[in-house]
Amino acid sequence: MEKSGSTDSLDTKRFSSRPASVDSLSSTSTSRSDRSGQARPPASMSSDSVPTSADLSPELKIPKECKEEPELLPGEAVQDLAREVTYICPFLGPLRGTLTVTNYRLFFSCMDREPTFVLDLPLAVVSRVEKIGGASSRGDVSYGLVCKDMRNLRFAHKQPEDALKKSVFEVLMKFAFPVSNGLPIFAFEYGQVFPENGWKVYDALAEYKRQGIPNESWRVSKANDHYELCDTYPSSLAVPVNIPDEDIRRVAAFRAKGRIPVLSWIHPESQATVTRCSQPMVGVNGKRSKEDEKYLQAVMDANAQSHKLFIFDARPSVNAAANKTKGGGYESEDAYQNAELVFLDIHNIHVMRESLRKLKEVVYPNIEEPHWLSNLEATHWLEHIKLILAGALRIADKVESGKTSVVVHCSDGWDRTAQLTSLSMLMLDGFYRTTQGFQVLLEKEWLSFGHRFQLRIGHGDRNHTDADRSPVFVQFIDCVWQMTRQFPAAFEFNEYFLVTILDHLYSCLFGTFLCNSEQQRGKEELSKRTMSLWSFINSQLEDFSNPLYLNYSDHVLFPVVSLRHLELWVGYYVRWNPRMRPQEPVHQRYKELLARRAELQRRVEELQREVTNRSASSSSERAGSPTRSITPVQTFV
Amino acid sequence: MFSVKQLKPTFKSYLPQTDVKKNINPPIKKLEAKLLPGEIVVNEVNFVRKCIAAEKSHDDLWGKLICTNFKVSFVTHDALTKPRFQVAHRLLGEHDIPLTCLEQVVTVNDVKGKKKVLGCNQKLKFNPSELILYCKDFRIVRFSFDEAGPEGAKKVCLAIAHYSHPADPQLLFGFEYIGVRYYGSPEERVNGARPKGGLQTPLFDCSSDWDREIKRTNAEEWRVCSINQDYAVSPSLPEFFVVPASLADQDLKQYAVSFADQRIPVWCWNHSNGSALIRMANITDPFQLKKLDQRICNAIVKSHPQRSEAHKFDLDKSLPSIQDIQNSLVKIRQICVIDPFEESEEKWLSSVENSQWLDYVRTFLKHSCEVVYLLEGMNASVILQEEEDRDLNCVVSSLVQIMLDPHFRTLSGFQSLVQKEWVMAGHRFLDRCNHLKKNAKEESPLFLLFLDCVWQLMNQYPSAFEFTETYLAVLSDSMWIPVFSTFLFNCPKHHADTMTGFLEDKNITLGEGEALCFPPVWEWSQQLFIKDQTLFNNPIYVGKGARNVHNGTVKSFRRTKVSHKSYSSTLRGTPPALMRNGLQGGQGTLPRRNSLAAQLKSDLFQLRDVEESPSERFFRDWFSGPADPQGLLLPQLLPSHLPLWRLYFLRWVPEACIPRGGPITAYHKFSQLADEIDVLQNQLRHYKGPTPANTPLASPTGPPSEPSRMYFKASSLYEPSSTPEFLSSSFPFTPVGNLCRPNLHGTPISKFLNGAKIWLSTESLANETL
Repeated sequence: MEKSGSTDSLDTKRFSSRPASVDSLSSTSTSRSDRSGQARPPASMSSDSVPTSADLSPELKIPKECKEEPELLPGEAVQDLAREVTYICPFLGPLRGTLTVTNYRLFFSCMDREPTFVLDLPLAVVSRVEKIGGASSRGDVSYGLVCKDMRNLRFAHKQPEDALKKSVFEVLMKFAFPVSNGLPIFAFEYGQVFPENGWKVYDALAEYKRQGIPNESWRVSKANDHYELCDTYPSSLAVPVNIPDEDIRRVAAFRAKGRIPVLSWIHPESQATVTRCSQPMVGVNGKRSKEDEKYLQAVMDANAQSHKLFIFDARPSVNAAANKTKGGGYESEDAYQNAELVFLDIHNIHVMRESLRKLKEVVYPNIEEPHWLSNLEATHWLEHIKLILAGALRIADKVESGKTSVVVHCSDGWDRTAQLTSLSMLMLDGFYRTTQGFQVLLEKEWLSFGHRFQLRIGHGDRNHTDADRSPVFVQFIDCVWQMTRQFPAAFEFNEYFLVTILDHLYSCLFGTFLCNSEQQRGKEELSKRTMSLWSFINSQLEDFSNPLYLNYSDHVLFPVVSLRHLELWVGYYVRWNPRMRPQEPVHQRYKELLARRAELQRRVEELQREVTNRSASSSSERAGSPTRSITPVQTFV
Repeated sequence: MFSVKQLKPTFKSYLPQTDVKKNINPPIKKLEAKLLPGEIVVNEVNFVRKCIAAEKSHDDLWGKLICTNFKVSFVTHDALTKPRFQVAHRLLGEHDIPLTCLEQVVTVNDVKGKKKVLGCNQKLKFNPSELILYCKDFRIVRFSFDEAGPEGAKKVCLAIAHYSHPADPQLLFGFEYIGVRYYGSPEERVNGARPKGGLQTPLFDCSSDWDREIKRTNAEEWRVCSINQDYAVSPSLPEFFVVPASLADQDLKQYAVSFADQRIPVWCWNHSNGSALIRMANITDPFQLKKLDQRICNAIVKSHPQRSEAHKFDLDKSLPSIQDIQNSLVKIRQICVIDPFEESEEKWLSSVENSQWLDYVRTFLKHSCEVVYLLEGMNASVILQEEEDRDLNCVVSSLVQIMLDPHFRTLSGFQSLVQKEWVMAGHRFLDRCNHLKKNAKEESPLFLLFLDCVWQLMNQYPSAFEFTETYLAVLSDSMWIPVFSTFLFNCPKHHADTMTGFLEDKNITLGEGEALCFPPVWEWSQQLFIKDQTLFNNPIYVGKGARNVHNGTVKSFRRTKVSHKSYSSTLRGTPPALMRNGLQGGQGTLPRRNSLAAQLKSDLFQLRDVEESPSERFFRDWFSGPADPQGLLLPQLLPSHLPLWRLYFLRWVPEACIPRGGPITAYHKFSQLADEIDVLQNQLRHYKGPTPANTPLASPTGPPSEPSRMYFKASSLYEPSSTPEFLSSSFPFTPVGNLCRPNLHGTPISKFLNGAKIWLSTESLANETL
């Protein structure tokens, strides 16, 4: 009974226990998935899963009906259904069942098995569908689905007898790539209402204010109010006080895509700052811009503690130099007095994409035992993670220990730059390590500063070979996870929070990661027409909280950036492997202990009251022998 | 607005002030070694510099280097500049290293560019400018003699080398230690020649301990056998052991002749289903082989309530040899502590793989799982066979029992297990530790490997063990302190003979009921104060009956549903997992891009032979249910789930130390909560006295007269809501001054500047090289 309904699920049930999470969310999350009401979760992301979660939550005794069809989300509609489809599971072998395609998900269920087998995933995670004709001798048609979340799926079914009838997979392709097919992305149709409004989480001016901006050195400029200065930047920018807006426009002309140096973070004590921008348009002839030089001087002068400025160029120096032929390049130390340029050797989006592709080969479907570590090393994934974290650490160290302001850029300043500024800010400022603060960090450094989510993920776009796609954001979340491993008590959120963000990075259920810039999001009216991921998360914060969280707020974290401490994020990358089992959830155990403490506290208080009452009522009786009542009683039994 | 600028400090001012004074004025105050009973100073030299960091000397400590018959001691008036924390050791000072812990003694002369590894009775033709001590617990300590008298320095180095190579076990310090205690004052005698008992951990040196174990495990068809009293039958088995009830003493004596070392099969443990775990040595007499095998098997079958068949595992055939394991340790030591940090960083993962250490950890765990399957899943008794039954069998039999029996996951249970399956079973601790440094071929870290396997289980099931990883690390370090009976001998008889010899040599006559004996390592108060011993307690341990507390509503363990092939067995035939992986490896040669069809095709191909064996089904079933911390535990064997034991292997590496981070910070939080719960429970007990009406109000701060179980207390001096400064991923060990690799020019800072590399430093360190 205990085990029924679950054994054969390939993967973890999304809202039941997560594989690998140190804090497997098991029962709490289970109850959440069954918690009706506004905060109903998008049951969406369930991967291969068993429909019932009853066995995981003792309070739920009613085994949920094993459904052939999915429970639909508000706004979701079934588009096609095909029986006798075979899902060729790399772990269980071929499974015959029913495949349902909606405008949001792919749902496959095999009722023949005990327990029932279910595969449930948002169509948006599919990056590529390939028809493999005649792969099997029985004249079946076979389809392979390559997913963005580190797995491949394969289905087979009989060629429909009616040749005119569309195959279920053709329907699937239509809805998996709505953008290519002139259909709306599901986030615009999703009709769920949440008690929290995640679109209100981030307010640029409020965040500047939290940092103490404006102050005597920095002001908030309106120069980009209508994105006329830079269409990939947010409308409000923090710039040095003594640089007038006209000069700013000239600086914009000298920086790639007009992405001028603007303030990301200011140290509350030393006033050392982290500023971000794109590469200067130096070109082969070594062009200079007086305004840009003056601007960086102003950035440096705004910090009285140091007469130096560090410019961190995220790229390898060779790549930075190569950019000169395309008009870009890097700051020459002759032109920028007192500035020191440091290259951080982080590779470009293409290298990262290739690395993740190799990683997928190593972890899916199976791990090759004898050579696991060298195979992992050959993907270079952890090495890239290390370089990014090392870069962020150098930035944080300069700002914190060196009290020196830093400027960070790569080529366009929306990929590696975002990784570096946000990670160094996470090290420097405890606010960003809270659940709310982390959302602000993402909204600010990634979304408002124009990380091109649409292009990097390719939402709804069938063109899977697009060279613009790259797992830059996944890498960032991985780096965050590495930090949570080294400082288990320093983050308010848990691993499940990070996995949830990555799942919804692809799901297209929420508007959060749609579009490429603040300007586009405004035009699309995302905040009106879609839900924010933070609405969902903030409506059930309990599930995403780290019970071990200690407020480290004024403590700067310096992680050890060494392969000795970096590890593959098994709970994310290897989660489809059924042999992958979560660590025993210590967070769960912590919650049990908390409950135990609460229970004991309650009983102690009760007894205390009782004793107080009793002693009050009996005080008259015992008035004659007062000594008795003060005799301490040792009662260790 | 910015016209008036404060004068900015120059970069120089950021550099830490070099402490010039120290270099000029080494302290002249008298420095004395702290000596234990029986310990004598052999040689000493003053004005020695203990190196703290590889690159700079301003943190170095000045003091006296002393060689005693027990340890290398460094005494100093200087305190380490950084505030630090250390658990005080009762036998060893902060800078002390027991001689038995020395792996290699290296002297260096900088000027002449000479280097020599010192052995016993050797000459040294140059005056050493430096002494580097490589320790068995992975420390590397370095002393500089630039201000010390050259002759004195040389003498101390030679003394250290000489005394770390004792010619005879009796020369190990432990004998002096207990010997002096015997001669000493009556109070001192209490520990040296003490009446038996008083210790919680059964030592299995008497028949009653075995009897209790038989009763505890309900092994009705087994009996304690005493034919080996005075080691009359086997020189390496204990005096008492357990055998099938159906075998008579006479038969056993007869059988014994045909076994290696006369080690007849002995019982280890009984499953509640009646199956038994047995260990034995090879049968050396080829003519008796078949017959004996049959008889033994029959007897074991007879002792099984269901008369289930007995399976035999020949561990020599399927496990790495002790030399393989030793070579592996040498490699992992090389990359963890000896190679410069940056250099080993480059190929860290593949170097770890190359060492094969984790591979061996997995192999032993995997084999143990297979034995578990037979005992638990097949209800069959298992015989572990190894040539001598003194090495691999120790590891496997104890791992199997830890997985199956929660008793061995308690502190005292675990200690009794080590006593039973290692000490009494005749694991050659003296040879495997190579305490006498006589035969490097015999040296092998089997016990460390076992502790690592236990750590892996603990890492996967953090609330199933009563003790912590700190306990495991301290236990492994205790191997190198030569005063514990546990690690000094090759077997009980060796222990007894050595003691007799010692008494004779020293002309000691013991009174009635007196015995001169070493404390077992389990007497933790020998090493640590009670307060520090609380570091052994796991705050999230789910003990026996703990679940009742939650009225059965809260389950402690939850587990994802895992399907098929949670585990593969190599019991029979080729492991399917390997076949699968073999195929996957084959895919590697296919063109990658746009080869989806090809890959999917091979996916399909793989599926054809997916046939589940009964053992696979067993493991799958187990993994699909919630694990009970008080029930069977099976480790997840995916290589991605068996990481390096960082606390043990990296604790001395300053570059790898995470300040205010690491798992200890979670332990800290857990301990505080557990302590709060204990305090509340104490309060409740106060209220619920036998005469509740008279119970006075306990003060809310709590009068817990019981010492806390937890190292970190709820309402302690420091703020409960912050992580104490002294916590780091190395806690309670400290890398400061304990890993001082020889100077290597060009690392690590210059490397670090070549690109974005790791560094620990702050601004000042980076500036130094600008």
